Amino acid sequence: MAKNKDKAAKGAKSKKSGGLSFFAILVMGVLLFMVALPTFITLVVGLLPSVLAFFFDRHQGRYLARCVFGLNFSGVAPYVMELWHEGGQSVSIATQQLLDPMTMVIMYGAAGLGWLMYLAMPPIVANVLNLTAQRRTVELREQQRELVKIWGENLISEIEKGHR
Amino acid sequence: MADNAKMQPDDTSSGADMDLEDDEAGRGQADQKAPSSDAPPPRTGGGRHVDVGNFRVFPDLRLPEFDSGPSQAFVAEGIKRDDGAIFALVADPTLPTRSELLRVLSGIRIGGQLDLLDYDIVYWPPLDRSTIVCFYAKPGGSKVFTDGGKKAVIDEHDLPSTVIVPLINILTVLSDKNLAHRNIRADNLFFADEKRASVIAGDCASCPAGFAQPIVYEPIDRMLAEPAGRGAGALSDDMYALGITIAALGIGHTPLSKFSDKEIVDMKLARGSFQTLAAQEKLPLTLIEPIRGMLCDDYEERWGLTELNNWLDGRRVKPVQGNTERRAARAQNIGGRDYYTARGLANGIFNNWAASLAPLRDGVVEVWLRRGMNDADRSKAMSEAMRQMAWSGSDKRTAEDVLVSRGIAILDPNGPVRHKGFSAMLDGLGPMLSYDVQHGKGAQAFSEVVVRDLPTFWFSRISGFRPEIQSQQQVYKGLRYYMQQQSMGYGYERCLYALVKNQHCLSPLVENEYVIHIAQLLPALEKVASVTPHSSWPVDRHIAAFIAVRLQDDTEPQLTALQNPGDEVEFSRSIISLLALVQWRHGPDSLPHLGLWVARLMEPATKVFHSRERREKVEREIPKLAKRGNLVELYNLINDEKERRKDQDEFISAVEEYSAADSEVFDLETSGPARMILAEQIGRQVASFASTMIALLTVSALFMMTVW
Repeated sequence: MAKNKDKAAKGAKSKKSGGLSFFAILVMGVLLFMVALPTFITLVVGLLPSVLAFFFDRHQGRYLARCVFGLNFSGVAPYVMELWHEGGQSVSIATQQLLDPMTMVIMYGAAGLGWLMYLAMPPIVANVLNLTAQRRTVELREQQRELVKIWGENLISEIEKGHR
Repeated sequence: MADNAKMQPDDTSSGADMDLEDDEAGRGQADQKAPSSDAPPPRTGGGRHVDVGNFRVFPDLRLPEFDSGPSQAFVAEGIKRDDGAIFALVADPTLPTRSELLRVLSGIRIGGQLDLLDYDIVYWPPLDRSTIVCFYAKPGGSKVFTDGGKKAVIDEHDLPSTVIVPLINILTVLSDKNLAHRNIRADNLFFADEKRASVIAGDCASCPAGFAQPIVYEPIDRMLAEPAGRGAGALSDDMYALGITIAALGIGHTPLSKFSDKEIVDMKLARGSFQTLAAQEKLPLTLIEPIRGMLCDDYEERWGLTELNNWLDGRRVKPVQGNTERRAARAQNIGGRDYYTARGLANGIFNNWAASLAPLRDGVVEVWLRRGMNDADRSKAMSEAMRQMAWSGSDKRTAEDVLVSRGIAILDPNGPVRHKGFSAMLDGLGPMLSYDVQHGKGAQAFSEVVVRDLPTFWFSRISGFRPEIQSQQQVYKGLRYYMQQQSMGYGYERCLYALVKNQHCLSPLVENEYVIHIAQLLPALEKVASVTPHSSWPVDRHIAAFIAVRLQDDTEPQLTALQNPGDEVEFSRSIISLLALVQWRHGPDSLPHLGLWVARLMEPATKVFHSRERREKVEREIPKLAKRGNLVELYNLINDEKERRKDQDEFISAVEEYSAADSEVFDLETSGPARMILAEQIGRQVASFASTMIALLTVSALFMMTVW
């Protein structure tokens, strides 16, 4: 019973925090819309894969969303900087940027790379772990062979006796 | 002196070859008699001879007049000094000698006794084995008595001074040392000189007490025992034998010699010793009083040395009844014969073992004791024995045998322990066991007697003061425990060596070497090791028991380890330990053949070390130490306590390490799916972290580029 209560409390907390961050993003979005509309437009269009990933990734930790967002933002960030530095926050320049297919390729390509990285990293890690395990097994077998060499078959029979 | 004497297996002057050549001829002359007992021994080197310390014995020249029971006399001479005329008495190796008497008599002169100059263990060619040889000074005169004569050898008036006085002397000396001669008889007496003025008694140490005595010379209680089991006895037994000896010398032949042993037993039991003798023989009138006194069947009433001395001095001596055995008002029938005395009935029961069970079990004997004998005490003891049989439980047959045996003990408590075919006095159980074992009867009867605790019951029933028997009680306490143990170092073998001090080791390995003292054991084994294949251990049941009894050190730990022959490591270690202990205590320092024997069989003992390296080191050392023949070093090699503990500790660590490695390998081999799940999780985390880092770097780089 107490366990169920704890679980419910935990769920409510995470929901609350998730709701808070969404609210913070919404507030920031509204402020950005009011203060810097061209930047807002570029970010909304450019970060569209991240938004989609955010909605589709329901796993704990939302690693897919984080991966896609990280690289997606890296792709969008140069255009936002250009908008601020050279465009003087002009909607037309923002529109011009977004209509350039190269811009979209870079922004969405970067998001795609993030997705690929998300897919590729677990097998790589699995291979590393397997190799480590194999090396350890070989080491242990070698250690056992050394022990048998020193103590003879007595060692095995003693262990078998212990097992019985 | 005897201890210092060396064993000289063969003639040193003529050499081994000559012995072999002479052997065939020697067999033909095995019983050749010496021309005369007084004739000087051959001084030349001719003829086969055996040198023993200061003496030389001629195995082909017999002196039958000096034979004593189974011991045979041979011509002998002194080599290094002039000991006068001597003869060698070769003991039968299948019979134990009397160690206390050998020790007391050797090297000292006691009036009335043949001088025992020395004794030694000697390889005796005619028997092809070693045995004890006693060297006696030849008496000055001839043998006093030759059976079959019709008139007295010594005049009855001369008997006191010629026979009784010298014999009183030897009996006094021996009884002062709590010993008995037990071989006083007319045909074992010799004239001390040619004047025939006094006699001396012959050998009494070369065979078990009373073994060589005709049954008539044995008192009524001891005559019922087997010859080997008649017991060491006491002065009262010698007094009885002296009484018969006087009678024999007085009448010129052995009393009752026309009767068989069985008839003599029956007559003595029915009438008493003196009455039987008086009825059958014409005893000299002047000797009737001492004969009656010395043949009294009650050992407490029998004349002792004081009464005999008083009689010699012409003083009045308390008269004794010849037979004090109480007779019953009515007879008790066993096996178709009527018995009127308890002692006679006990003998009847022993001779009709199976038929006696019913009257004992059904209380007939108990009623006879109560009503016929009017003996409430023995009747009560009999009903108690019957009640104990009823409680005996499952093994009814054993309980019935025990009842019969106890019944005999109640009826004749001073007689021998009797059980089925076994009959031996309490102080004669050891020699009886020795005789049975060495004459093919085995130890079964003795084992049953001891396991059924019959001696204890007998001790509890003894009436009167019999120090020679009661002193044995302490010895018997351990026997039952020994018999109940099955392993090496226990069993009847242990009892044998504990009971018979002069018993030689009966192990087939060293039996022919006649090993009596523990110090002889290893040299004997060394000799065996040089000629036999080393296929089995040099320690068997007999040797283990011999060591356990003769060695003063505590050998219980080794014997305990021998209980489990399956544990070959502990078994071999214990055997090596036993032998090493003997060598450490008694030497000799070098036993190369025995060392090699032990070394070949000690392979299991090297397993005491777990480490291969240590074992190989030990295996390399063994041949070196074996060649040196030091068993103690061999034992220390496998018993280095510090090294063993270190080896054991390291082995335990190794086992733990091996097991831990095994478990880890098992975990690694079975954790594949779990590792995949872990890899998935870690991979995602790594990807998200990398992505975040790229984003941060990109933003930082752009910011820098913009600012600068």
